[in-house]
Amino acid sequence: MTVEILIPLLTAAVISGTPILYATLGAMFSEKSGVLNLGVEGVMLTGCLTGFLVAKASGNPVLAFCAAGLAGALTASLHGLVCLVFQGNQVVSGLALTLLGTGLANYFGTAFVGQAAPGFTPVPIPFLADIPGLGPVLFNHDPLVYLSYMLPLLFWLFFTYTRFGLNLRATGEFPGAAAAAGINAVAYRWAGVLVGGFFMGLGGAYLSLAYTHLWTNNLTAGRGWIAVALVIFSFWRPGRAVFGAYLFGGIMALQLRLQAFGTTLPSSLLLMLPYILTVAVLVFSSLHKKKTGAPAALGVNIEPRD
Amino acid sequence: MTNPVIGDQQMPATHPVIRLDRLSKSFGSVQANKDISLEIHRGSVLALLGENGAGKSTLMSMLAGQLQPDSGHIYLDGAPVEFTTTDKALAAGIGMVYQHFKLVEAMTVAENILLGQPRGFWLGKASMGRTVRRLAEAYGMHVKPDALVADLSMGEKQQVEILKLLYRQSSILIFDEPTAVLTPAEADSLFATMRRMTGQGKAIVFISHKLEEVLSIADTIAILKRGEVIDRISAASIPSASELARRMVGRPVLLQVNKKPVPTRQVVLKVAGLQGGGLRGIDFELRQGEILGLVGVAGNGQKPLVESLCGLRRPRQGTIRLLGQDWKHFFSRQTWEKTLSYVPEDRQGLATCPSLDLLDNFLLTTRGGFVRGPWLQKEPARARAEKLLIEFDIRPPDLQTFAWQLSGGNLQKLVLAREFFRKPRLIVAEQPTQGLDIAAAEDVWNLLLQAREQAGILLVTGDLVEALALSDRIGVLFNGSLAGMIERDDPKGIEQIPLMMAGLESEASSSAP
Repeated sequence: MTVEILIPLLTAAVISGTPILYATLGAMFSEKSGVLNLGVEGVMLTGCLTGFLVAKASGNPVLAFCAAGLAGALTASLHGLVCLVFQGNQVVSGLALTLLGTGLANYFGTAFVGQAAPGFTPVPIPFLADIPGLGPVLFNHDPLVYLSYMLPLLFWLFFTYTRFGLNLRATGEFPGAAAAAGINAVAYRWAGVLVGGFFMGLGGAYLSLAYTHLWTNNLTAGRGWIAVALVIFSFWRPGRAVFGAYLFGGIMALQLRLQAFGTTLPSSLLLMLPYILTVAVLVFSSLHKKKTGAPAALGVNIEPRD
Repeated sequence: MTNPVIGDQQMPATHPVIRLDRLSKSFGSVQANKDISLEIHRGSVLALLGENGAGKSTLMSMLAGQLQPDSGHIYLDGAPVEFTTTDKALAAGIGMVYQHFKLVEAMTVAENILLGQPRGFWLGKASMGRTVRRLAEAYGMHVKPDALVADLSMGEKQQVEILKLLYRQSSILIFDEPTAVLTPAEADSLFATMRRMTGQGKAIVFISHKLEEVLSIADTIAILKRGEVIDRISAASIPSASELARRMVGRPVLLQVNKKPVPTRQVVLKVAGLQGGGLRGIDFELRQGEILGLVGVAGNGQKPLVESLCGLRRPRQGTIRLLGQDWKHFFSRQTWEKTLSYVPEDRQGLATCPSLDLLDNFLLTTRGGFVRGPWLQKEPARARAEKLLIEFDIRPPDLQTFAWQLSGGNLQKLVLAREFFRKPRLIVAEQPTQGLDIAAAEDVWNLLLQAREQAGILLVTGDLVEALALSDRIGVLFNGSLAGMIERDDPKGIEQIPLMMAGLESEASSSAP
C-alpha cells in the first residue's frame, strides 16, 4: 500500500476512532466502579443529539460539547436509579437504556435530519503538523481529538495514583471491603455511572459536532457496542483502549474506502467488518482467562444494609 | 504511629474499657443474644467460647457496629455509646477481624491497608509502602507492602486485616474464629502477634470453639450457650481442655473417639507415581474399612492430589485406580451411589450452591436416586431430605432455606448428610471439621468412623489431633510427596510427624542436600 493511501487511512482511523475512545473510556470508568452499563449506545445517541441541538441553537460548539456530556450523564443516571437505588439487574437496565436512548434520539432528531449545525473544524498544531507522515495523521485534527489524546493518560493516573481512583476501584472490586474501610461505595458507584455517562455522551457529541456537522438518525451506528467490547479487549486499562479504538476506527475507515474504490465485495460484508472484529476481539480476550483485570464485583449490585 | 501510646493511660484492672450491659438481640423468633453482660479489659484477652449458633458472632457484631441491640447498652470507658455503623465503632477504636476477609484481591497490601484513609488527592505509593512496612515490623509481621493480596496465603491475608485495624489505631480488636483458616504454624504466629498487642495495652476479644487455643491465649473465658453467657472463668483456673469442654457442652466430651477395629477389605483407591501440578510422585493404597489421614501444612500438594482423585484435574503422570477402575473410566461413567464421595474444604463454593435452597443442594449429588426418565422426583427427595435434616440436626430444619443462610457447621452437616446418603465406597474428606464446634466435630468424626465399615476414607486435614483420633494410617505430605506413611500404632513414628510436616525428617536422616 502506498503512502498516498496509508496516510489518509490512518488519519481517518484516528478520526473515527476518537468517538469510540471517548465512549470506551466512559464505559471503563463506569465498570471500574462495578456498574456494567450496556446502554453506551443509547447514552451516546442522546449526547449526540443534545450536542447537535445545542450547537444549532447557540452556535457555540464548546457549550454544545459540554451539554452533550451532561445529557449523557443524565441518561446514565436512569441506569444508576435502576441499579443503585432499586437494585435492578444491570444487564437488563443497560439494554433498556440503549433502546430508550436510541428511541429518544430518533423521535426528537427526525425533524432535523439533513440539517447542519456549527461544529469543530481541524486546527493543525504548528510545527507538529508538518512532520511528514505523523503530522497529518496525528496533529491535523479538531481540538476534540487532541483532548482525547490526553484522556487515557489522565484516566490511568486517576485510577492508579489517586485516592479517589483507588476508592473507585475498591468499590468495583469488593464494595463490602470498601464500605468497611469507610468508603461510601454507593456514592462512588454513582460517580462511576455519571462520569462514565458523561464521557459516553462526549463520544456521541463528537459524531454530530466534528465527525459530521449534519444530523442523521442513528449516527452512532453500533459504536456504543464496540465500546462495550473494547473495555473487555483493553483489559480495563486506558492505554490499551487507545489501541483498540484506533484499530476499530481504522477498520471502519477502511471499510468506507473499500466501498469508495468500488470493490467487488458486497457492501454488506464490508459493513460487517467491525462487528466481525468485535467478535474476534472478545474471543481473543477471553482466551486470557487469568488476569484480564475485570473488576471482581462488576455487574453485582450492592445489597442495602438490613 | 508505630508507637501507640497506650501504656500511660492504662486503667486499673477494675476499670473495663468496654462494658456490655444486658445486651439482647433477636432475629425474628430466634433470640440470638439474651441479657448478655461482659467486660473487656485493656491488655488482656477475652475468649468467647461456644458452639455454632451460640450467639458469639451476633454479640460481637453489635460491638463492632454491624448490628444494633434490641435492648441493653454498651459503655466505652464508662460512658454509654451507640454504634449505629461500623465507622462509628472503628472511630471509637473497635475493630473486627472477620472470618471472611474484607480484602480487595486485585490490590496490593499497602493499598488495602490505606484504603479509605483521608490522605489528600495523590496516593504517594512509596510512602504508603514505607508506612505499612514500619507498621508490620512493629508487630512482628512479615508481609510485603507491594504484594498483591490475591497472591497471599490465608495467614498473610489475615495479617493484612490486622494491620488495617492497627493502622486505624484500634485499641479493641475482635477476632472472629481467626484460626479456622490458618495452619498450625500460622496460628502460632497469630498468637504471638496477639500477645504483642496486649503487651501494648490493646484489648482483644477472641471468638473460638477450639478449647486448646482458648486455654493457651485467653485471660478470661466467657462461655456462651443458646444466646446466654452461662459461665465466666479465668483461664488460669481451668486445669484442662476437657474440663473446659465439660463446662461448655454441659456434658463430658470425649476428645478421644471410640474406634472399633474394622477388618480391611479390598483396595478402593490406588495411587501410583502421581505427578504434576506440584506433586512429585505419590504412591499409596487405601482399603475399604480404613481411614488414611493425610496431614501436612497447607500448600504441600493437598489441593492437586485431592483434585486429581476427585476428577477435577486430569492426572498428568502416574495412575489412579478408583474402585478397581482406571481414572478415565471411573469418571466417564459415574453412578450416584456406592461410589466416590467428595467432601470438599470449600463448603460454600465447591460443595454447595449458596443461592439454591437446601433441597436443591441435597439433590446436587443425589439426584440420581430421584429420577424417573427425564423427570426429577422432588416429593420423595423432599421427604428423604427432611428426615436427614432432623437426623443430622441441621438448623434451621427447613428445606426452603438457602444454603448461604446456614452457619458453617450446619452447612457442613448438610454436605455430610448428603454424601453419606449416597452410601459411598470411597470418601475423600477435606478438612471435614474445620470451623465446626466440638459437638458437631464429634458427630462428624463418629459418622466418618461409622462410614468406614463400608468405605475407604481419605482424610485430608491440617489438624493432627483429628488425624490421630481417626486414622488407621497417617501419611505426611511435604513439598508434593509423601514424607512418610505411619501406622497409627507406631508411637515412635507418630512422634516424627511434626518434624516431617516441617520437612525436617530428611535432614535428620541424611545430611545430603
